[in-house]
Amino acid sequence: MTNKTRHVTYMGLALSAGLLAGCVQVGEQSDDEPDLTEMSAEEYAEYLIFESNSFKLDQEVQEGGTARERMQQDELQRLCSDTRNRPHGEVANRIVAMARESFEYPEGGIQLGDWEKGAELARSGYGYRIGHNYDNPERTVGGNCYACHQMDPEELAYGNIGPSLSNYGELRGNTEAVRRFVYEMIYNPHAYFPCTAMPRMGHNGFLEQESISHIMAYLLDPESPVNARKVDPDVEMDPASAPAGDTGF
Amino acid sequence: MIKQWLVATALAASVVGGATASDSPYLTGREQLMMLADNNPAELTEWRGEDLFHEPRGPKNVSLEQCDFGLGPGVLEGAYVQMPRYFEDTGRVMDLESRLIHCMKTLQGFTEEDDPIARKHSSDTREADLTALYTYIAAQSNGMAWDPPMDHPMERLTRDAGEVLFYRRAGNMDFGCVSCHSEPRKRIRLSFLPVVSHQEEWSKAVSWPAYRIGHGVVRSSQHRVRGCYYQMRQAGVKFGSDASIAILSYWTDQARGGEATLPDLKR
Ligand code: HEC
Ligand code: HEC
Repeated sequence: MTNKTRHVTYMGLALSAGLLAGCVQVGEQSDDEPDLTEMSAEEYAEYLIFESNSFKLDQEVQEGGTARERMQQDELQRLCSDTRNRPHGEVANRIVAMARESFEYPEGGIQLGDWEKGAELARSGYGYRIGHNYDNPERTVGGNCYACHQMDPEELAYGNIGPSLSNYGELRGNTEAVRRFVYEMIYNPHAYFPCTAMPRMGHNGFLEQESISHIMAYLLDPESPVNARKVDPDVEMDPASAPAGDTGF
Repeated sequence: MIKQWLVATALAASVVGGATASDSPYLTGREQLMMLADNNPAELTEWRGEDLFHEPRGPKNVSLEQCDFGLGPGVLEGAYVQMPRYFEDTGRVMDLESRLIHCMKTLQGFTEEDDPIARKHSSDTREADLTALYTYIAAQSNGMAWDPPMDHPMERLTRDAGEVLFYRRAGNMDFGCVSCHSEPRKRIRLSFLPVVSHQEEWSKAVSWPAYRIGHGVVRSSQHRVRGCYYQMRQAGVKFGSDASIAILSYWTDQARGGEATLPDLKR
């Protein structure tokens, strides 16, 4: 069976199952159903997502369209899934090239915004969650940086999936080259780290340009607590004073 | 109050994790949770589940004692650690929660709309019957090794597709389960993350039901799968759906041989 005829058969199956059962359970096998066991694991996984009534695909989403489109992979997502995030040679080159092509810069060049607003945005994990509990599209979307990075050395509730960014501006400097690198990392980090776990927050339209400029200020402005605080590592901090907060995860 | 205590525990765990031979801050933190709790509030849920299980209920006024969880009607011991499994009578691979619903429908005559089936998760004010039943049955596998059957082709295909789903990145944040559960000693904020390839960590991680201290109620594996898809900004996964069972099949297979703690206590 070619992929295309197979696809059509799935649609038929999903339809009839939906009509018969009216719910998630597919129930008894009937003769005209395709033999699922003939599918590869990848084919069955796609079938599960799009044809088995397993997900709320028709839910509307704030970027427009429905959750169905969110579940469809773009090329980057597919390549990274297929290589289990360890792309080699050609594939890695392709990913880096695609990421470079994706860059779009703000009109008037890359500017630093307000670090105080950036501090809030770096902490917030709000935005774009759907399903049983819908994030309000009117509320400002957060960048979730603390989920994965240390930033302000006094903030104890930080994750470590990514490297520490404490004193980032002080260590790297606030030059145009550094600003460009940070902007591009936030926009599409696969240009530097193909198949990184860090989201493409610019490319995916997750963060607005203005939010990116505030977060960049938080990271690079010498006045920002990311750079201005001098914490003596020997002084013990009171763990109870650290906010646990809503991690967004 | 509880939140501050959790912060302190997590930090203590990271310190201990760094200073001793233990190489798993996820497990160290978990042990400390267990030590701090005199008893697991999930026991109350388990007892209520026991009553519900043996009580004649539903339009047909029968108990669930004849429900077959894969080892024969009424056999509960060790049934849960051998799920999800393929059931001939439904032609589906089912997890414990879907199987329970199946029996509540076929044996007791409840429908999808009746509260005992409709209420999938507990709230502050009302514990779901389903959660109580699930907790009671799961507890009959406490201390046993995870051992999901892989004899039927659909069991193997389901697990393999679950693996594909685990690595599949999609959505506005480009996440797959792999983004957060593949590297040791990683945290999201203060939460240490279990690693899918680390048998000891993973067999504890998949030990649901668990009393979740942060939620103040007992949660199920279906609830955890839903939560992780939610945080990934992907589409909402439906309770008991084939995709959710594929994830559960893969995650239980990854825990194979490891010890199940049922019910568990989680942060
Ligand atoms: C899901 C986790 C995750 C989130 C969320 C995340 N990052 Fe990252 N980030 C990473 C990882 C991982 C790396 C290291 C790249 C690699 O090796 O894959 C990284 C690297 C970076 C770097 C480069 C550090 C260097 O070596 O110079 C910067 C800058 C950065 N992130 C900024 C941010 C900012 C700002 C945010 C919030 C808007 C953010 N990240 C959110 C995971 C994350
Ligand atoms: C953005 C990061 C992230 C992604 C992506 C993610 N998880 Fe999780 N996962 C977490 C966090 C955080 C916890 C809670 C850990 C805690 O509270 O200590 C968790 C908990 C779990 C647990 C239970 C362990 C425990 O102690 O609570 C399992 C099992 C699990 N996730 C599986 C999955 C699966 C399957 C997927 C994909 C469908 C997934 N995760 C995707 C972050 C993530």
